[in-house]
Amino acid sequence: MLKISPDELKLVAQYIHDISGIYLDQSKSYLFETRLSSIVSEYDFKSFKELYQKAKTESDKIIERKIIDAISTNETLFYRDKGPFELLQHKLLPELIDARTPGSPALKTNIKIWSAASSTGQELYSIAITLKELLPDFSRYTIKLLGTDISDGAVAQASRGKYNKFEMERGLPGDKLQRYFTMFGDSWTIKDEIRAMVQFRKLNLMLPFADLGKFDIIFCRNVAIYFTLPDRQKLFNKIADSLADDGYLIIGSTESLTGICPLFVPKRYLRSIFYQKK
Amino acid sequence: MRNMTILVVDDDPVIRRMLEKRLEKEGYEVLIAEDGYQAKKIFPQQHIDVVLTDLIMPGSIGGIEVLDIAKKINPTIEVILITAHSSVDTAVEAMKKGAADYLEKPINFDELFLRLEKIANLQSIMRNAMDLSQAMDTTESAAAVTIQNLEIRNAELQGRLNAIETILRDKQSPPYDQVDKVLDLLAAENNIIIYPQ
Ligand SMILES: C[S@@+](CC[C@H](N)C(=O)[O-])C[C@H]1O[C@@H](n2cnc3c(N)ncnc32)[C@H](O)[C@@H]1O
Repeated sequence: MLKISPDELKLVAQYIHDISGIYLDQSKSYLFETRLSSIVSEYDFKSFKELYQKAKTESDKIIERKIIDAISTNETLFYRDKGPFELLQHKLLPELIDARTPGSPALKTNIKIWSAASSTGQELYSIAITLKELLPDFSRYTIKLLGTDISDGAVAQASRGKYNKFEMERGLPGDKLQRYFTMFGDSWTIKDEIRAMVQFRKLNLMLPFADLGKFDIIFCRNVAIYFTLPDRQKLFNKIADSLADDGYLIIGSTESLTGICPLFVPKRYLRSIFYQKK
Repeated sequence: MRNMTILVVDDDPVIRRMLEKRLEKEGYEVLIAEDGYQAKKIFPQQHIDVVLTDLIMPGSIGGIEVLDIAKKINPTIEVILITAHSSVDTAVEAMKKGAADYLEKPINFDELFLRLEKIANLQSIMRNAMDLSQAMDTTESAAAVTIQNLEIRNAELQGRLNAIETILRDKQSPPYDQVDKVLDLLAAENNIIIYPQ
């Protein structure tokens, strides 16, 4: 495997930070070497400097995208941490529906939910299934479920809604698996009724995203952990702007906003915590 | 002794015997079924890592059906199909349905042992990964409880600090009142022991 020199390490780490906000520990050179090795051999690069220069100057950004796919950690699972989905079902959605249901029965209830680093889609599909089970009369609602991620590979898999047996076995209860997925060989595909509820697209959270509009619930879990403190602060300030005044923010179970964003207050419900704007 | 149990399913007694002998000699634990029906009975009763099944057998349970049954019972069971050269297309179809591999007759044992070894390695890596992710889940949920408590606690303390600041900034109120109010605030919300002077 091609070795990375200390100078190249600096260059590549800075470049990765510039394109994705992801901060990689420069003391872990093997991390750069192993994660980028397939791109190195695909293009037959002779050094990491060459990889860097090609990626930077190339106009169609194919190498840049491959680098993002390679260095992003897409680790996720259905119903990750369970707590947030109980929270959604028993508290956030009932409260939201109360707050959003218009006086006139002719009007629909609008709900917008965003999975801000949706990875391969498990988080958003878990949200969609929770909604489906909670709201029997779906036609009375206009529900927008958006999943975004910086990794093209992750967005593509999320859009296909196709998972292998190992991805399925993690977190998904058997009855939901049977009810909402179709099996073919070793892989499972989400059924159209759920697939039709969601939408995925590519988005870099380091860039402005105010054009997405305001959301009632934002899931921004296990992505800010890859960013530096100033980048986290910027991100959660932008998220505050994208959240309805009475909306809810959910972050990863081992994350904290202390020292990051004073605009939010944490609140407890059963086994989990959610945030609202002050 | 290798840590792997193999179920051999074949209607030909000669092949059955030969497979059993060779595999046992290699140190595998071997179970035998004479056809798909017997195999179907064995699955729920025994722990099986790998199934080695003939593709074509008499009756309505052939190799493909054995594959389906095995995967339904436990998706981590790996299935290798044994086929005649003429039915390689069917074997390829079977691989799309989740078979690990296929071997053409006559069986080349070196090839078989190599594939079994690969499967054993893969299964041990899988087990290792599962152990690791379980360990990570445990660590993560313990950390989550701690962090959530700290997060709520911190918000409470921040709120109290703000309230104290408001009290102290109030120029209208006499200092002793302020001190009393602040002490009340500290005592009420946070079991902090306040020693009388
Ligand atoms: C560990 S996954 C989290 C998935 C899911 N939210 C969860 O908690 O299970 C982190 C995801 O963040 C994405 N990511 C990293 N940097 C990003 C950025 N700047 N903008 C958007 N997504 C990013 C990665 O591609 C990856 O899919």
